Amino acid sequence: MSATSQIGTRTSTGGVRRASALGPGLAVLFVALALVGFLSVTLGSRAIGVSEVLHALVNFDSDGPISSTVTLEMRVPRTLLGILVGAALGVAGAILQGVTRNPLADAGILGINSGAAAFVVFAITVLGVRGIGVYVWFAFAGAIAALALVYAVASLGREGATPVKLALAGAAVTAGLVSVTSGIVMTNVDALNELRFWQVGSLAGRYTPILTGVAPFLLLGLAASLGFGRAINGLALGEDVARGLGQNVVRTRAAAFAVVAVLAGAATAACGPIVFVGLVVPHLARFICGPDYRWILPYSMLLAPIVLLLADVLGRVVAAPDELQVGVVLGLMGAPAFIAIVRYGRLSEV
Amino acid sequence: MTRLRAEGLTLGYDDRTIVDNLDVTVLDGKVTAIVGANACGKSTLLRGLARLLAPRAGTVLLDGRSLAELRNIDVAKVLGLLPQTPVAPDGITVADLVSRGRYPHQGWFRRWNDDDHDAVARALDATGTADLIDRPIRELSGGQRQRVWVAMALAQDTDLLLLDEPTTYLDINHQVELLRLLRKLNAESGKTIVIVMHDLNLACRYCDHLIAMSSGAIVAEGAPVDVVTGDLVEQVFGLNCLVVPDPIAGTPMVVPA
Amino acid sequence: MTTTTTSDLRSATSGTAAALRANRRRRAGRSILVTCALTVAVAALFVFTMMVGSFRIGAGEVIASVLHLSDNPSVDFVVRGLRLPTAAAALTVGLALGASGTIFQQVLRNPLASPDFVGITSGAGLAAAAGIVLLQAGGLVVSGLALGGAILAALAMYLLAWRDGVTGYRFILIGIGVAAFFEGLIGYVLSRAQLFEARQAMHWLIGSVGQASTTELLLLTGALVVLLPVAVLLQRPLGALDLGDDTARTLGARAELSRAGLLGTAVVLVALAVSVAGPIAFVALVAGPIANRLLGPAARGVLPAALVGAGLLLTADLVAVHLLPTPLPTGVVTGAVGAPYLLWLLATTNRQGAGG
Repeated sequence: MSATSQIGTRTSTGGVRRASALGPGLAVLFVALALVGFLSVTLGSRAIGVSEVLHALVNFDSDGPISSTVTLEMRVPRTLLGILVGAALGVAGAILQGVTRNPLADAGILGINSGAAAFVVFAITVLGVRGIGVYVWFAFAGAIAALALVYAVASLGREGATPVKLALAGAAVTAGLVSVTSGIVMTNVDALNELRFWQVGSLAGRYTPILTGVAPFLLLGLAASLGFGRAINGLALGEDVARGLGQNVVRTRAAAFAVVAVLAGAATAACGPIVFVGLVVPHLARFICGPDYRWILPYSMLLAPIVLLLADVLGRVVAAPDELQVGVVLGLMGAPAFIAIVRYGRLSEV
Repeated sequence: MTRLRAEGLTLGYDDRTIVDNLDVTVLDGKVTAIVGANACGKSTLLRGLARLLAPRAGTVLLDGRSLAELRNIDVAKVLGLLPQTPVAPDGITVADLVSRGRYPHQGWFRRWNDDDHDAVARALDATGTADLIDRPIRELSGGQRQRVWVAMALAQDTDLLLLDEPTTYLDINHQVELLRLLRKLNAESGKTIVIVMHDLNLACRYCDHLIAMSSGAIVAEGAPVDVVTGDLVEQVFGLNCLVVPDPIAGTPMVVPA
Repeated sequence: MTTTTTSDLRSATSGTAAALRANRRRRAGRSILVTCALTVAVAALFVFTMMVGSFRIGAGEVIASVLHLSDNPSVDFVVRGLRLPTAAAALTVGLALGASGTIFQQVLRNPLASPDFVGITSGAGLAAAAGIVLLQAGGLVVSGLALGGAILAALAMYLLAWRDGVTGYRFILIGIGVAAFFEGLIGYVLSRAQLFEARQAMHWLIGSVGQASTTELLLLTGALVVLLPVAVLLQRPLGALDLGDDTARTLGARAELSRAGLLGTAVVLVALAVSVAGPIAFVALVAGPIANRLLGPAARGVLPAALVGAGLLLTADLVAVHLLPTPLPTGVVTGAVGAPYLLWLLATTNRQGAGG
């Protein structure tokens, strides 16, 4: 009736696994990510042999055979971007779900995508700017501006940014921005065409300059995010308990939002809105590790790029020589898998 | 004749059986405490008795009829339960929450009459929460909140009332007040009361009947004076202790050794 | 508590009873006031949308024409023939979206859980887009497909989420999955379509009250006449469901049945609304929270939310058709109309500490 039975009970109901199993699990995921990354470099509408890939990577010779060029200038940056963006979206989603205590919360719902899109449209129509390399920065700024607005509105009043107010403010800002954006786009064919290109949500066509542009932000954000596990565990117990545990709830929430803004903002700026990963992967992570955010965050960070790259590779292989957009693949393949897990697995609530 | 009893009751969640083949009789017009260590199945038993958990095997009988064949609304007029961690919607006020205890007494069209009013006002007065009616639940202290939930259960106005750890968030003063209130309800209207609780001393002091559980089975049952011994406490809680008479009431009192 | 005497327990102190009565009266008063004010506002908007346009008509003439009280062929043609269908569509679709949105949010206990977010609207969208692109369908066929798609999506979600009952949390997660799946399929269908059909499908997916046909409108109106009162009646078990399934069952509510009834009502309403006007975004999402904030702490109502929905959609239609340089589909404008208002309410009512 003492400690042992307590742990036993929790293991079978809440899905709380012991750390001894979760640590090696992370290592397994890491290997899996490396494997998927390798697949992503080798597979594609043009199959490149393992030896050619290795040759290209070792010799670093972009003037060499086409396989080298494809590998170095397209596949490698695309894969690296996929890993970074995936990790960023997964972690940002996990943090948001934890902070807002809402299983539906993701960066898209809290205004990031709509803010980014609105700024891109603004850049196109008002400033006459062109080119995906420039859109990145407008999208980044827009994402951060939207999230800041959501946070500011939700923070008004005595209790600060409670989960309910955050969710509603996010939904409202998204609603407003989407309306304005699509209103402009419907009347401006030129902007529609450009925005459509940006809004696809894809890893394709995003090469080295974009990667080097957003990578510092993503790496910084990822590093910072890992420190939030304990704080979010506290918040997940409710604000009162978190305060009781000596947390500064307001500051924690603000810091978490800042990190999410950088992560999701940079990811969305680089690849356009990819919704599914940030929304679903944290639930997968929670399914594996139970409700402890100290584990959920690193698991999300590794699971999300695996899922994203797999979908990307699949989209390249299945429809070769064409490509299926990663968002489409995620919806078609990922959603049924997710539904099955929700249906047959044990759930820990947010 | 007892109104509420269980025969061969087996309860569990998913693939785990928690309570196995248990026979329980709730004594009419008495205050019964179910005690036991954490995770011994006492809350599960209470949920089973209140039909919140469908039995794997066996039956729970209310007035001689199986709960499974009774209409939910009819049960709710006779049998009330205060869950361990009830959920309140955001921003709900005390008056609103306590009023919801009247649900089983109202029909689809007849919504609110003087009986309802009186029952709610009585419940508020009895729990000392009458001056809180306009306050949102979430602004209350833990103790106030607990008393408001008890008020809701009282407003339901049932002959049998089951409470799952109602004293948990209360300070010693409010614990005693709540137990006195339950005793008074029992004395005045013959309400049958079952309380799941941790505090053995308070259970001995304020309850007529004790059911001690361990690992999903009943290990002892009877009046506190008869069942609470050092051996029992050792067996149920794993605590080495001395049992002495309470200096005021003479009921058993457990003092850790 | 220590001071309560025996007699207090038998008969409540008159002070408490009086305070309780005053409390009830105050809340009921505000609820009635808000509902009446909303009704008046919606009625005024309804008439006003039929007054404005290239051919201006007075309020009296509009009312007389709609009620068949006057006989003025040119006014009748404009009002009954041209403007009434759109205005009626905005009114009924708004009512249906507002009611179903708030039911979803309350039953699933999540302010984001409107039908737009949990896969029902995307089910309708997929069926309609597939019909437009693959079958070159139009008009009533598309509406029928959308209706079927929404109801099938809802049924699939309910069955998938069922495991000894349906909990709000699992339903929401399944809804996310289903929505992602359908959105993926919509993306696929659109990317494989010819340009003309793709644009047609995208236009339908934005939604507009201008595209309603009389048959669909009559169907939706009939459904509203039956289902709105049902939804208002079902608010009673909702009050118990609010306290969690355990407490609801303790109070004698049939939690599972009530939830299925509420969701079923909401699904039929939203499915019909979408089939009439396409998946107009955000009305279902924001109508409930706006109504709740007007009603005050922890008070909710299906009827006020429905009225807010209608008001939003009528306003959006006015803006979309008359205020903008180029007329746009209503779905484009709804967010811009509802969002600032919700933000303002969020910012100003926070002090009372009332959540969603």
